[in-house]
This record gives sequence, structure tokens and C-alpha cells, in this order.
Amino acid sequence: MGSSILRSATDDAASGERVRTPWSEFSRKFRRQKVAVAAGVFVVLLVVVAVAAPWIVPYNAETYFDYDALNAPPSLAHLFGVDSLGRDIFSRILMGARISLAAGFISVAAGAVIGTLLGLVAGYYEGWADRIVMRICDVLFAFPGILLAIGIVAILGGGMANVIAAVAIFSVPTFARLVRGNTLGLKHLTFVEAARSLGASDRTIVLRHILPGTISAVVVYFSLRIGTSIITAASLSFLGMGAQPPTPEWGAMLDAARSDMLVAPHEAIFPALAIFLTVLAFNLLGDGLRDALDPKIERV
Amino acid sequence: MKPLVRLLAVALASLAVAAPALASKDVVFAVASTFTTTDPYDANDTLSQAMAKSFYEGLFGFDRNMKLIPVLAEGYTASPDGLVYTIKLRHGVKFQDGTDFNAEAVKVNFDRVTNPDNKLKRYGLYKIIAKTEAVDDFTVRVTLKEPFSAFINDLAHPSGVMISPAALAKWGSKDIAFHPVGTGPFKFVEWRQPDYLKVEKWDGYWKKGYPKVDSITWKPVVDNNSRAALMQTGEAQFTFPVPYELAQVLKAKPDLELVAAPSIVLRYLSMNTLQKPFDDVRVREAIAYAINKEALAKVAFSGYAVPADGVVPDAVEYSVKLGPWPYDVAKAKKLLTEAGYPNGFETELWSAYNYSTAQKVAQFLQQQLQQVGIRTRITMLEAGQRVQKVESWPDPKTAPVRLYYVGWSSSTGEADWALRPLLASESWPPVLFNTAYYRNDQVDADIKGALATTDKVEKAKLYRDAQERIWKDAPWAPLVTEELLSAHNRRLTGVYVMPDASFNFTDIDLR
Repeated sequence: MGSSILRSATDDAASGERVRTPWSEFSRKFRRQKVAVAAGVFVVLLVVVAVAAPWIVPYNAETYFDYDALNAPPSLAHLFGVDSLGRDIFSRILMGARISLAAGFISVAAGAVIGTLLGLVAGYYEGWADRIVMRICDVLFAFPGILLAIGIVAILGGGMANVIAAVAIFSVPTFARLVRGNTLGLKHLTFVEAARSLGASDRTIVLRHILPGTISAVVVYFSLRIGTSIITAASLSFLGMGAQPPTPEWGAMLDAARSDMLVAPHEAIFPALAIFLTVLAFNLLGDGLRDALDPKIERV
Repeated sequence: MKPLVRLLAVALASLAVAAPALASKDVVFAVASTFTTTDPYDANDTLSQAMAKSFYEGLFGFDRNMKLIPVLAEGYTASPDGLVYTIKLRHGVKFQDGTDFNAEAVKVNFDRVTNPDNKLKRYGLYKIIAKTEAVDDFTVRVTLKEPFSAFINDLAHPSGVMISPAALAKWGSKDIAFHPVGTGPFKFVEWRQPDYLKVEKWDGYWKKGYPKVDSITWKPVVDNNSRAALMQTGEAQFTFPVPYELAQVLKAKPDLELVAAPSIVLRYLSMNTLQKPFDDVRVREAIAYAINKEALAKVAFSGYAVPADGVVPDAVEYSVKLGPWPYDVAKAKKLLTEAGYPNGFETELWSAYNYSTAQKVAQFLQQQLQQVGIRTRITMLEAGQRVQKVESWPDPKTAPVRLYYVGWSSSTGEADWALRPLLASESWPPVLFNTAYYRNDQVDADIKGALATTDKVEKAKLYRDAQERIWKDAPWAPLVTEELLSAHNRRLTGVYVMPDASFNFTDIDLR
């Protein structure tokens, strides 16, 4: 009892001295979620590894080989073992982080930008623009994500660039719908009407007044979506439609490991673990961000 | 207590009834792909033809070393000009529908395949036949359009089987594929696509005492791991192919026997000799030197392959041993420098297949070529892409193929089918498979000359000359001859894989 009174008193004192900015509010709420923080740390670490990979890998991921150590299990020289072509799996996993993260970020970023713009237009103008955009989204929604991505890759052809394009396309409708909903709500609020009555152009209203209001939802969805995108890109590579050999993409590594799985299980375990942990971290981080940014969730 | 005793008695009685059924010898073969047809004349895949040996036999065949043996024929004579072949037939053979096997039946079969209107896939192998005549009941005279000394080998090809003329008349040329009737040891029972095809023992088989098992069920199981699992649980008694990666696993099972058989499947890297830099023989030699074939056998084939020692595999008639091509990185670099590529170059590396072994080969080749500065982009072609981008590319000058990893099994067991389709200048795509766009007029003349003569010594001389010239010109980097891995239950005997990846199971028995 006593302590709770004490805390609320200090809180009040703090708010009395400092203005609570949205950022400090967010970081206060976010830090309370231990799991999300841990996931965030993991993601940051992963990004650092991905950026630094070319300088920190012990062996070249594509050109190093040792035919005398084929399928060798993990050891000090090769932390994650050696694959069936004599390559160092640890080095390949590190380089693979680069590819998977890049694929995840780029595809979702592209999908988010396009989706947000479409959503703003649809929500702000309504009418025919809204109907066209939303019907297209409905059509895209009708396909399960991975199936849509496979279809797109089948049309565009294989390769990592096309996989990124495919994942970007299937991210568009979710963002468009999300932003449209927020825009519909925001545009009838007083501050928007005030801006309009001051003679602000549509462009200014949409970009300066409505867009910032939708950002938090987009950020949350963005982080949740990266996990899905990484797994979709890896799946496409697993199916032979994405990264081509000898690219150390995790999904492609998993596919290659399949034939040797009974003899050398470590070849499948490490790429699978990498995909699993990365996707899990992004999803937990996304959950944490949602709880921290959603004004409707207020934990006492 | 009493009902229980009664129950026990019933159970025992039913067991006794079931016992003979248990003793029947039923064998399951687990194979890697589905059957395209049961009609060998209309099949391009070795597996469908191998399966069709259950109910079909040809005039000639091959023993396990790819040596020609008579089956439904007793012997033959060829006219000195190499145009007329007179074949004596075996007496007392019947088809499974009771029809007699005689000269007329042979004529019906040859007339069918040589009629282009029937659009049979193996038409190309038999179109050389001008006419077939029944001299008497057991003598057939075949006249060729031009001398073709490998003709009897063509007849021994697994496609050249005898189908019951009565069944052909009843079902027609297309539907016979669903109602096969031959002279073989087993009768066709049912084909439930894509699950299985079942055949059962035929009592009227001409070879007395055969077959020794009651039925064979052919089961296509595409996934490698599942197929290996069927063997481990005993659900299947024979499987082919065993993927190289799983060899160790199956070898460790005490009730299974893993067999590595020599093959006539040659794996090579063809180079487009019309295009820079592969128009320079030094570049081609450099590539051949840059590849460690021993290591390739170890990496991609788990050791179940031997470095190729010629352009025609050993088991093929008239093959000449010329290699293996040595592995010498320093020499490769020197040749590249001489050719004007001291820092190597970039090029495309395509694989004709996209299964796991081929993926390993392609990546291995990439690693090896990189050591001499040749940087490659790998594309694993699927069957459709292979046909579109390589095999049926219309204009040789614009063909996009550069380095191309592929294999060839010459199923007639004779040098002609190992050289002509792959290295004669008349065989540039889209006609046949000369993917190196290789042309050497002397080689062309040798191949043609060898076909025109029936003199074995002369033939051997011409084929030796052709192979030596090809080896020197190096349109290919010869890689390995792979071994064929099969596994069978130790209770099963008499089944083996032939060098062309077909099966022989005339002596099949189950203990």
C-alpha cells in the first residue's frame, strides 16, 4: 500500500517536472515487457551480425571447402559443423542472416509504403478510389499468403529479387486496409476539420495530419510482418524458387540438407533453428510494440 | 471359459486357412517415379520399360554385362551388304492370351512401330526398317532402308518387345497400354495410377519352372526418404535407385543388401564450342584439368562413381579407354593464360537436372572452376526448361547454353548410340543432343562409316579413331561414370540392375 502511494507520488512529481512525450511514454511501457525486450535485443544483435558478417565469418561462406571433412559434425574448428559440400555451416548461417533480414525488411518496407499510400488515398477520398483499392485488396486477401507468393514467383520467375517482390505484393493489402481504417476514423476528428477550415490542401492534411496518426499501427504491423516475410522467403527458397545455390539462404540450406538429414542432422538443425529464432524474435517484438503503442491497452 | 476356448479354436482355424496365403511369394518393388505407360514402344523412360519386362519380352536382350543375348529369337544372319537381316524364332512360345508367337506376330509389331501415324515415341529407333516379311512360321526377314550395323542392338533395346497381335487388334495401338499382353513370365493384373502396378505369375511361360514368385507389385515412391523407409520396414523387398546420401543408412541394416552395379551412365560437362571462350580448345582443356573427378565422386556420389576414362563408358561395345583426364590446376591456369584469360572469366553453368545429387555436382563444379578464376552462375533446369532452353533451341548460333552438366545412358549397349546423338554434327539441337555444338568432319565420317559396315574389325577401328579425336578436341569435360545403387531384402534373390539402369528379374525368388 505504502509503496504504491509512494510510486504514484513520484510519477506525479516527474510529470510535473517533465512533459510526457509520446516517445518516453512508449519506452516506459515497452521496458515493462521483459520478453519483448529480450526479443528486441536479439533482433538488434542479429542486425549487427548481419551487417558485420563479411568481416566476422571464420570461413568464406561460398568458396571455402574441405572435402576431407564432408558432413563433419560440430567441432571447435567448425562450430555448426560442415555440410555435404565441405562448407562451414556457421559462416553460411551468418551470411544467411544478411539475406534473410534484407529480404524481410525490404519486402515489408516496400509493401508498407505502397499499402500505406493506397490506404490513405482510399480512406481519405472514399468513393470510387476506395472501392477499387479495397476490391483489389479483397482479391489478394482471398489467396493464402504463401500461395499468392508462389503464384507471383511462378509468373515473374525464380530468384531472390522476385521473391522479395512477391512478398512485398502480398503485404500490400494488409497495410492498405489497416491505414484506410485509421484514416476513416481520423479524418472526421476536430483537428483535421480545423486544418481544413484554415484552408490546408488535401496533400497537407493527408501527409501532415492524418499520416502521423496511422504510423504507430503501421510500425506494429511492420514488425509483426517481418517474421512472416522471412518465413515466406525461406519457404520459397526451400521449394527451390528463391535463392539459387550456392547462396547461403537459410531456406535453401534447409532444402539442401534434406537429402543428408539421416546421415548428418546438424545440416538441417542449424538453419532451421536460425529461421525459428529469428521469426520468433520478430513476432515477440511485434507483440511488445503493439502493447506499448496501442492507446487502448493501458496496463496498471 | 467355454466361449473363450471356442474363440481360440476359431482363431486357430482361421490362422490355418490363412497360412497358405502367407506362404505365397509376393514381392514389392519400390521405384523412384511413376510409370508413363506400359507400352515400351511409347516410353522414353528406362523405368517404364524395365517394369514392362514383367509381361513383355523382345527378340533379343542384354545380359547383366550388356552383352547381347537372344530371347525370343534363336539367332540371326545379316546379308553382306548389311541391308537384310534374317531372324530365326524360338518355337513353342505363346502369348498370355493364348495367341501363338510366330513370324506374323513379329511383323505386326514392327509394322506398328514403323508406321509414323501411330506416333510412337520410339519410332526414331526403328524407322530404319523398310519392310518386315514372314518367310515361314519361325523365320522373319527384315529389310533396312540403308545399312545399319547396330540393328540387332536396336532390337535388344528394352523398347523392342513383342506384343500379342490379337490384343493389339482388340484394343488398338493406343489402348494396348492399359491392357498389355506379352510372352513374359507375369500377367498384367491392374495399374492403379499413381499408386501401384501389379502383375502375377503366368503358368504358361515358355521357360519351364519360371517365374518363382507369385506376384510383383511395382510401387512408385518419389520421395527418397520414404522409399528408404519402405525398405527398412520390410514393406518393399527391392528398391532402385538408392540415393547416394542414404547408402550408409541402408548398408547398416542387417536384413538388407546394398548393391553397387557398374553403369553405362556417363556424366559430363558439355561446352558450347560455337561461343567464346569455349571455341578455344585450350579453354576447354583447362576446364577439364580444373575438375577433380575423384573428389566429385566422393562429394556428390558418396564414392559410388568412378572418374570417366573415355567418352563412351567401358561396358558399351567399341568403347576405348583414353583417360581419366588428369586433375591439374597449375596446367589449367597455364592454358587459360595462353588462351588470353589469365584472370578467368564469367559464364553460365546449367544442370540438366534439379535433384539433390545434381545440385551437389553443380555446386562442386562451381567451387572447382572458381579455383582457376572461372566464375559461374548456376541454374538448375527443370525438365520443361531443359527442353525449351537446350534440347529444342531452334538456332545453334543463338543457343544460350554454355557449360551444361548432363548424363547419357546408351541403352543399345553399342558405340553408335553413345556417339552419334551427342557428338555428330547432324545431332545439334533441336535434332538430338549435341549440346556442345561440336563438329569434326572426320568424326562424322567415322560414325557414318561404322554404321555402314558389318565388319567388326573395321567398325572397331573407326570408333577408336572417332573417340580419340573427340578426346583431343575436348568438347566435354568427362566427369564420372556413376554406379547404380539398389537395395534388396536378403530373402530376395535374382533381381539386379543392369548397366543401363533397367532391371533384370527373370530369376527372381523369395526365400
